[in-house]
Amino acid sequence: MDRASQRTQILANHLLQSSPPSPLSSNACLSYSPPELSENYAFDVKEMRRIIDGHNVEERDWLFGLMRQSKLFNPKEKGGKVFVSPDYNQSMEQQREMTWKRIEYLLERGVFKGWLTEKGEAVEMWKFAGFEVSSIYDHSLFTKLGVHFFLWGGAIKFLGSKHHHEKWLMDSENYLIKGCFAMTELGHGSNVRGVETVTTYDSNTGEFVINTPCESAQKYWIGGAANHATHTVVFSQLHINGTNQGVHAFIVQIRDADGNICPNVRIADCGHKIGLNGVDNGRIWFDNVRVPRENLLNSVADVSPDGKYLSSIENPDQRFAAFMAPLTVGRVNIACTAVYQSKVALAIAIRYALTRRAFSLKPNEPEVLLLDYPSHQRRLIPLVAKIYAMSFAANYLKMLYVKRTPQSNKTIHIVSSSFKATFTWNNMQILQECREACGGQGLKTENRVGHLKGEYDVQSTFEGDNNILMQQVSKALFAEYVAAQKRNKAFKGLGLEHMNKPCPVIPSQLTSSTLRCSQFLVDALCLRERDLLNRFIADVSKCKAEGESTQQAFLMCYQLAEDLGRAFSDRAIFQTFIEAEATLPAGSLKDVLGTLRSLYALICLEDVSYVRYGYLSVENGASVRREITKICSELRPHALALVTSFGIPDAFLSPIAFNWIEANSWSSD
Amino acid sequence: MASSVSSQHDQVLVEEKSFARILTFNRPKQLNALSFQMISRLLELFLAYEDDPNVKLVILKGKGRSFCAGGDVAAVVHDIRAGGWKAGANFFMKEFTLNYLMATYSKPQVSILNGIVMGGGNGASMHGRFRVATENSLFAMPETALGLFPDVGASYFLSRLPGFFGEYLGLTGGRLDGVEMLACGLATHFVPSAKLPMLEAALCAVDSSDPATISSIIGKYSERPSLKEQSVYNRLDVIDRCFSQKTVEEILSALEREAVDRRDGWISTTIQTLKKASPTSLKISLRSIRVGRLQGVGPCLVREYRMVSHVMRGEFSKDFFEGCRAILLDKDKKPKWEPSKLELITDTTVDSYFSKVKDEDWEDLKLPARSKFNLPPYVIAKL
Repeated sequence: MDRASQRTQILANHLLQSSPPSPLSSNACLSYSPPELSENYAFDVKEMRRIIDGHNVEERDWLFGLMRQSKLFNPKEKGGKVFVSPDYNQSMEQQREMTWKRIEYLLERGVFKGWLTEKGEAVEMWKFAGFEVSSIYDHSLFTKLGVHFFLWGGAIKFLGSKHHHEKWLMDSENYLIKGCFAMTELGHGSNVRGVETVTTYDSNTGEFVINTPCESAQKYWIGGAANHATHTVVFSQLHINGTNQGVHAFIVQIRDADGNICPNVRIADCGHKIGLNGVDNGRIWFDNVRVPRENLLNSVADVSPDGKYLSSIENPDQRFAAFMAPLTVGRVNIACTAVYQSKVALAIAIRYALTRRAFSLKPNEPEVLLLDYPSHQRRLIPLVAKIYAMSFAANYLKMLYVKRTPQSNKTIHIVSSSFKATFTWNNMQILQECREACGGQGLKTENRVGHLKGEYDVQSTFEGDNNILMQQVSKALFAEYVAAQKRNKAFKGLGLEHMNKPCPVIPSQLTSSTLRCSQFLVDALCLRERDLLNRFIADVSKCKAEGESTQQAFLMCYQLAEDLGRAFSDRAIFQTFIEAEATLPAGSLKDVLGTLRSLYALICLEDVSYVRYGYLSVENGASVRREITKICSELRPHALALVTSFGIPDAFLSPIAFNWIEANSWSSD
Repeated sequence: MASSVSSQHDQVLVEEKSFARILTFNRPKQLNALSFQMISRLLELFLAYEDDPNVKLVILKGKGRSFCAGGDVAAVVHDIRAGGWKAGANFFMKEFTLNYLMATYSKPQVSILNGIVMGGGNGASMHGRFRVATENSLFAMPETALGLFPDVGASYFLSRLPGFFGEYLGLTGGRLDGVEMLACGLATHFVPSAKLPMLEAALCAVDSSDPATISSIIGKYSERPSLKEQSVYNRLDVIDRCFSQKTVEEILSALEREAVDRRDGWISTTIQTLKKASPTSLKISLRSIRVGRLQGVGPCLVREYRMVSHVMRGEFSKDFFEGCRAILLDKDKKPKWEPSKLELITDTTVDSYFSKVKDEDWEDLKLPARSKFNLPPYVIAKL
């Protein structure tokens, strides 16, 4: 049978129909009906995009365009549209090679101009935008760039001094030097202070001697180490005259310009991974590698030529904290890109749900559009609200970071830890929900949503394990509380000012209008945070009264700590939403955002903690749920506009987001 | 409903041949420049044909040595002088509506580009399913030299050319011959002009709207001639390196860097062309192509209508009127652009061309509804 002519026949039948076929007449095949033609935009989607992207919209589009137009980004035509996405069916080695070629291409086009050598808010914000856009194409591309610019480049910027900047930054920006970041070891990940690599100083030659004393001290997961990196920053214990001065950072060349591994350095591959196979993660051993004294990144501490240890920071805890600075910007970056991955997945799942039908309610009736099922709305639309909330929170975080002062460092650390954990966990949930919402189509790599799970899973681990980061948030809140009490002063910072006011009261009967009132929603989120903080303090104190150490007490109160961390995040995210909303002029756009804002907060109120700790009665809990379903159906007509406003170009979504029938037709294969 | 057959004085001649309709631009003295009247007539015909089951195919061609040299801009300027900027905007509203209808047309359009095809002429052909080039074809989007920008949906079709060729064509107004048009995808076929009568006869015998069928008919008369060695399309490497840069200024300095590396007449000509064009036009054109690359054809036209309204209104720059004066009316070819330099045009000024026009009577372009038609996949992909 000639399939081509059969296909032509079907196509011809389509075209010859003078009136469009009913969506489900018994003999015609289903036709794809583009949602653009049936769904209306009640607000300006470009304006909305400008608001939620927050910055560098033109530059983002330029970068999207650079990728869209180059063969290196693997363009594939499906259903008459071009999609760009890496070929994940390539071998690990091929994927790594392609990632590198893409970086070279972007470098040639001037994308990274100023990323290490220019200072100021403008370039820092553009860098964040650039990372968000590159992550929308591929997480390996993002990660390779992140290691080079934020970890390697950041270490030199933050931990080095002027001569390091002059020597390394320009060459790094131009990729004459390819950097990596050797912190994690086989035996030590989150506990950086426990790394086993040891460095001593030889005052006869003026050199540091770096050594991997045992197998568990091998550097592990070092992105860029397996194939491409020429240099690394090594984190190592520094032993001076028999005294361990703690973890310090050193620049070590690991390959020459031709790519040959340097003497006394051994490198092995981490092998195939569940995702990110375009990143060459490697393991490194140092066999008494000698580097000049100047290679110590010495902004925090230095060693004199004759071997004396000198540090401007006496307290070893504070000294160590200073060494962690490059990780903070990485956390900001990861938090923000997680939001964009969720945008990709939601745009695909919602667009598919606006074109895919399943089951008729009555015989001979057209099948129902997925998104017209209340249950499908309930699955996806609250996630859209969450992503709007997190977009504002991400913009807030980026601004907090670029406007940093020595006084704001603590806030940045807490907020970035909390948002990084919350956004990346949320991203994995959204990817899973969207995968399922796309049914079997979600399983095809070309459709992205399912595949992205493997690519993005690592986000909950790198730049700080999410659980540990959230523990740090609770501990920091604990410290704020103790400090405020000790000095008998009001709470200031971290959004905790609400603790100074009387405790809000939740009305015994929640009406629909109360549930959408921003003051009520703020109160409800603050109430939980305040109460959990009080409980956490009480429980820790109780443990201590029973003779436990503070550290042990924290460990034992982990459940409250986790609930408190979530309560802080939810409230902090919500506050950024309220603030963003307040700056907008009245109109349809603001109205939709207001509805999304309520939905976001109600989703938080649906958390089990509200009933567990009795903030909401069972009856009020039911009212919250009812209101959520109501809002979902109210937002249903805006679904397309809401995901279009994410501003992800068509080419970066996937075939099921568009004409999936044509994309799968015989003639398209 | 069948349309009435035209008289030879009409600006658009209409022939009914079985299931085909042949529309011929008939203003040869003006190189078939599109008048308001022609646009209105085309719109009327296209709308009628879409509902007419006896029409399967629409053929467009031009009388004389031009397919269509563009919109009748001189007339637009005249109208604006007489009736204010909205008279100008009105022309483009009609034209862009036609462009959208052609881009989303449920029946195939075959344009025979046997001669000059510029500006609005591209708007009337490039959006259709089939574009047939010949050895007489001469393509250009020369708007930046006129103080305008590549409109008529060019931000959609130029931006989708390979690499950054679209930026090159849109900013420099670079000209292409038929072979180059085929190579870059602006033309779907190349048919020697001698074979056009046979092609036309064959197309008139078609009783189907199936694009595969029509494509294979045109294919029978098509050739794949090779590019001239000196063709600009052989310079795609340099074009990609330079025209992919973020800003017009950076594009220029990239070209200047290339010129340092080797003496090349083409590069210096390109630099000169860019320096002669309206700086405002260059900046808004680049932005338009870049944004258009990521938009469907409808949003592209809506945005271009905003832009063209701002240009007609002359609020930020009057370069369009100056360009028309220097090129079309006084013909001194020495326009005095204002602002005169790229660096004098801020991003905020560029932004303002993309905003709604703040005028009570002004409205965004309303695209005709297309949902009642059974649109073919190649149209759906453009939305």
